[in-house]
Amino acid sequence: MMPAAAPLNSVTVGVLAMQGAFAEHQKVLSKLSCKIKVIPILVRTNEDLQKCHALIIPGGESTTIALLARLAGILDPLKEFAKTHPIWGTCAGAILLSSQAVGLKKGGQDLFGGVGICVARNGWGTQVESFEAELEVKGLREGERGFHGVFIRAPVVLSFLPQQPDDPPIQVVARLSADVVPPLAGLDIDPSIKTDQTDVVALRQGMHLVTTFHPELTKDNRFHEYFVRECVLPSVQASTR
Amino acid sequence: MTTPVPQASSQTPQGAGSTPIPSPLPSRGKAGEGSNTTLGTFGVKSGLAQMLKGGVIMDVINPEQARIAEEAGACAVMALERVPADIRVEGGVSRMSDPAMIKSIQDSVTIPVMAKVRIGHFVEAQILQAIGVDYIDESEVLTPADEEHHITKHNFKVPFVCGAKNLGEALRRISEGAAFIRSKGEAGTGNVVEAVRHTRAVMGEIRRISIMNEEELYVYAKEIRAPFHLLKETARLKRLPVVNFAAGGIATPADAALMMQLGCDGVFVGSGIFKSGDPATRARAIVQAVTHYNNAKLLAEVSENLGEAMVGLNIDAGLKGGRLAERGW
Repeated sequence: MMPAAAPLNSVTVGVLAMQGAFAEHQKVLSKLSCKIKVIPILVRTNEDLQKCHALIIPGGESTTIALLARLAGILDPLKEFAKTHPIWGTCAGAILLSSQAVGLKKGGQDLFGGVGICVARNGWGTQVESFEAELEVKGLREGERGFHGVFIRAPVVLSFLPQQPDDPPIQVVARLSADVVPPLAGLDIDPSIKTDQTDVVALRQGMHLVTTFHPELTKDNRFHEYFVRECVLPSVQASTR
Repeated sequence: MTTPVPQASSQTPQGAGSTPIPSPLPSRGKAGEGSNTTLGTFGVKSGLAQMLKGGVIMDVINPEQARIAEEAGACAVMALERVPADIRVEGGVSRMSDPAMIKSIQDSVTIPVMAKVRIGHFVEAQILQAIGVDYIDESEVLTPADEEHHITKHNFKVPFVCGAKNLGEALRRISEGAAFIRSKGEAGTGNVVEAVRHTRAVMGEIRRISIMNEEELYVYAKEIRAPFHLLKETARLKRLPVVNFAAGGIATPADAALMMQLGCDGVFVGSGIFKSGDPATRARAIVQAVTHYNNAKLLAEVSENLGEAMVGLNIDAGLKGGRLAERGW
């Protein structure tokens, strides 16, 4: 279901527009200057989704986004899309991209899956624990300059799940420095779930990118540029070759 | 990880609402070492409002209603003891809700929980911050505690939303530290006319100032009693510098979509859901209407068979409980 032989002078990056900060992502993408023209579109239907080479799932409330995706009939198409296209999840999007999540609402919620990690929803507590921190990030343009991380009721990466032989490896892109990792909020976490990666705030698995913070709330577009350069372009080139 | 988490400056109680200069923000990290993380910045306060955009915030009075709201796709709930429609009928002084009741709602859902304080009542706000609510609504729906001053909201780690009838009022609230603005509407009436009036007023004023030059902006700032720098920023952005929701009298999916098409970022629904015949269905329909507000075909589908809407009230001299929107200065 690739878009009809798009000429390789532009890529279409969708932003899932069910609920949350989708307009912020769209705005950053529209001003991005990359090797290739990036066309951002808002995705509200399966028809929209099928026009995309890649997708960003924005911050918002993951319960609301998942429910609206199901009601709009794009839950299964999204799960399929994740198998063949790059997706970047920020905050709520990170929860939805995870294979496993704890601290979910009673009765659980739908996840789109795609990245082999376990996350804790609101793992650091309520809004009064929300914070900003400087991050060192591997692979960003002008990498010597730190990246300002905005963490809002952020999910916490608890652990990497055991991998299947053909799963791509998980690469850590950014960690919080050890002295500023907040303690986990009083969550009921099953003892079988490890909690050894709580300092990881950005990671990649294959063509997918996960950030538990909000690059779209800063004026710094280097994470968007990184996603296009490291995830979207290699995937588009591989599929048209 | 045994690093102590330093609290706010020990001389000033956090969020005392009485210091002229905002107290230093609390931080994590090694004490005295110029820590590089900060809690409760304006960035994380207004950022949470940005995460609520395109969503519906629903008034709930107990954990059961909160669960219904969460299952219906609410992006947050507002915990209160009486919805505005009941406040109108019963009268009397309305205050902050019992913290135990708010905590029981916090325990039952994973979405953000908001709660209301009276205008100017900074101690009610200190209490809500202490129990960890996610957002405080300094609300005209409760009986004002101060007829001159609003809370100095910069002093708190917890963010605030405030109501506004026009641009001047919105910018005054932002200048006091509100990180999120909503229309006032006329709460508890099921009548959307006032929310439309307030939203049209704000949007119309923004369109007018966006073509003003600096001299004109100085005069206009004086006229509407708004801080000049915020007015200038609003003119540059061609929108409020914080998220702007509709509130007050929204009762149907069509009402919600109307407010979205008028330019709001999301909606609050107060009495409109749990005073209707079938709250779960109506709540879900309003959530869908806010996402797909430009899709009339879908709006028609979700508007079908919702049961009884809440009883609407005319906003005239005989309105029981009076004009709540007049509160706030």
